[in-house]
Amino acid sequence: MRKPWFDDEKALAAVEARGVDRRDFLKICSTFAAAMGLSQVPFAAGVAQAVEGAAAKPPVIWMEGLDCAGCSISFSGSLNPPAASVLLDSISLRYHEALMAASGHQAEAAFHDTIEAGGHVLIVEGAVPTADPRYCMIGGKSFEENLKAAAEKCAAIICVGACSSFGGVTGSMVCGGVGVSEIIKDKPIIKLSTCPVHPEHLIGTVLYFLATGEVPELDEHGRPVAFFGTNIHDNCRRRGHYDAGRFVTDWNDPAQKDYCLVTKGCKGPMTNSDCPVRLWNDRTNFCIDCGCGCHGCASPTFYEKMSPIFM
Amino acid sequence: MGKQRITIDPVTRIEGHLKIEVEVKNGKVVDAWSSGTMARGFEAMLTGKDPRDAPYVTSRFCGVCFSVHQYASIMALDEAFGATVPWAGTLLRNLSMGAEYLYDHILHFYQLTALDYIDIMAIAEYQGSDAGLNAVKGKILGLVGAKDTFPLTPRYEPDEYCVKDPEVVTSAVKHYIDALAINAKARNMGAIFGGRTPHYQSLVVGGCTQYPDLNMVAKFRTMLDEVAAFIKDIYIPDVMAFGTGPLMPLAKAGLGGGHLNYLSYGSFMMDPEGKEKLWPAGFIKELDLDNMQAFDQQKITESVKYGWYNGSTAHPYDGKQEFNLDKKGAYSFVKAPRYEGASVEVGPLARMLVAKDPTLLDLVGKGVKPGVVARHASRAIETQQVVDACYKWLDLLTAEIVKPGFEIHDTDHWQPPAEGQGAGFFEAPRGALGHWIKVKDKKIENYQAVVPSTWNASPRDDAGVRGQYEESLIGCPVPDVDNPINVARIIRSFDPCLGCAIHIIDPDSNELKKFVVQ
Repeated sequence: MRKPWFDDEKALAAVEARGVDRRDFLKICSTFAAAMGLSQVPFAAGVAQAVEGAAAKPPVIWMEGLDCAGCSISFSGSLNPPAASVLLDSISLRYHEALMAASGHQAEAAFHDTIEAGGHVLIVEGAVPTADPRYCMIGGKSFEENLKAAAEKCAAIICVGACSSFGGVTGSMVCGGVGVSEIIKDKPIIKLSTCPVHPEHLIGTVLYFLATGEVPELDEHGRPVAFFGTNIHDNCRRRGHYDAGRFVTDWNDPAQKDYCLVTKGCKGPMTNSDCPVRLWNDRTNFCIDCGCGCHGCASPTFYEKMSPIFM
Repeated sequence: MGKQRITIDPVTRIEGHLKIEVEVKNGKVVDAWSSGTMARGFEAMLTGKDPRDAPYVTSRFCGVCFSVHQYASIMALDEAFGATVPWAGTLLRNLSMGAEYLYDHILHFYQLTALDYIDIMAIAEYQGSDAGLNAVKGKILGLVGAKDTFPLTPRYEPDEYCVKDPEVVTSAVKHYIDALAINAKARNMGAIFGGRTPHYQSLVVGGCTQYPDLNMVAKFRTMLDEVAAFIKDIYIPDVMAFGTGPLMPLAKAGLGGGHLNYLSYGSFMMDPEGKEKLWPAGFIKELDLDNMQAFDQQKITESVKYGWYNGSTAHPYDGKQEFNLDKKGAYSFVKAPRYEGASVEVGPLARMLVAKDPTLLDLVGKGVKPGVVARHASRAIETQQVVDACYKWLDLLTAEIVKPGFEIHDTDHWQPPAEGQGAGFFEAPRGALGHWIKVKDKKIENYQAVVPSTWNASPRDDAGVRGQYEESLIGCPVPDVDNPINVARIIRSFDPCLGCAIHIIDPDSNELKKFVVQ
């Protein structure tokens, strides 16, 4: 287990030497630290230490099962910090099918060397097929077999997105997709269950783990309380209209554009996530802002129990 | 010398799970097999659901080109519901798709293929004084010093077609890093009208849910300026420099040409009636540009002889198809669609050939044959066309927004009809995309999609004719069987998207037989 390192000045100097602005860095750290309920200064120092020690960069394996790569794309959209700096400075990404230079046997070798050595963080995108393992084959082996092998000596598992967390849209398909926790029972599993994963949920979780060596506090479904502890409806900017009984009936009416969407099928009241506060796409908006409503993608019962999506 | 078989599994830096096997004799590929190795089963799952779920769910075919599935799906629903989309609604949709194109093509060139064309370790030799390039050099040398260059290595050994000039390579790696941020900004731009992305929210049957204002238009335009500058000043020059420089021998040899049959459905309404489109539809057989044929969807058939399905060749909406994992001789989850019986290529090269684009034809005149390099060039050419179109759409949207009482949605056709059917055709970044829906008792009775990578990545058909990936590999030089870098270059030039390509039909359902599109 890694302990936070308190030599702020040395650590921050090391961060600066890597071309990261000190103020930017501290701002990012304090945002995440606050979200995770941590004391900010030791957290920043811990992250800085993790960033500084290149040799100590934690090995990361990112596996894709029954997935759409949307979580990979979502993660790659992080601007502050830039996804490139996370990839090159903070972690040692040994295997990621959509990003790695290697193919075929080289990719397989990198995978096997890393899981043999152990101690890696295992990030999983996509569900595991239960109807028949042949619904997802990689390198001649089933995804389930690869997943079990990769999990054996890992430090922790981070499930990105709804599919690896709870099955997501694949749960009611022919393949019979289930979340990782249905297959792996003896490892700490952190579920970041929006569809797709929010880049800040992932980076915040990775930084927390780097700083503390520990899994953050999780809710009953295995999701970080810091990100999934609040109900969307409680934090919704349109809540006042709900309380006043004003609901969208016509998307063409500018007077209605901020009205409540519950009557159009919004699942905010039954969904926990910090979307209304954190927002998406560099604070551009979130699903309710664009007039469409929440569809409960963070929920353990997504998608089947969230259908019909609209009313 | 005997034959040697090489298997590349997984093929990385693509979307989805793909295995490629090739047989090599005397340093050249003599046979090839393309296998999609993952299946989920979207269409069967949709049966019985509210039709308005379809765009939301089919967006999850693919997290890279999510928006185009949503668009093809809502177009199918528009027809089935009898909805008339207001012009502003179409413009909002176009702008959301435009943002997808811009990010997707840049992502493909830098993140998914550039590493095949540069010797990244040449960075160590960079001696120039550019501060940005030296920062990149410092970063990469720092990784080397720490003996941890993942995920940039391991890799196939650079060959004679790799760029080794230190300044060009260092610039390319800088552009790789910069492109990640530009991609993110292009997606954020799309989110202004499309909502949270990946997987847009605001595109629904009848129009859009995001009520726009001129602030949003201005924000989109400002972000577009930055993305457009990267495309004009960085991306297109990089593609052209690579393509007409070290890769010219590959371009002139037509590496990765394949069958030379091309299909485009045409896309992007430029006026409210859709009389003019950004790209035309058409079919080209054996590169005969003078005899362009009109696209007729009735000429599509699908073969499953080598797919893990039961059934026989049929129009995709008439055939009986059952899933069969134990089928002898089958080697892919991808079906084999054919057009007039021909194995075709879809995507940027097909679009630019069907459009008889002058920039591409100029390159062809200079000796660039259809193949890997022409594919990258076509992608760059059409990216600029989408940039130009986005500016037009912003102007047109502004003209709509200032009209009193402008509309974005057909409110009268929001509820599902008792019965109906519809088709949606769209050119996705990877090529011709079609979604079909049939509605009965206000629920989905049947749902079908034939997507770009199903065309390109298909296995052999009943006649044993190879799919386009497979055919394009024939003759590919593989001087070293341990280093099949040209095979990877050919496959990646198509921008494979296997998550999209594979769909399973419910084996217990015979409903497909009744599914006829008018």
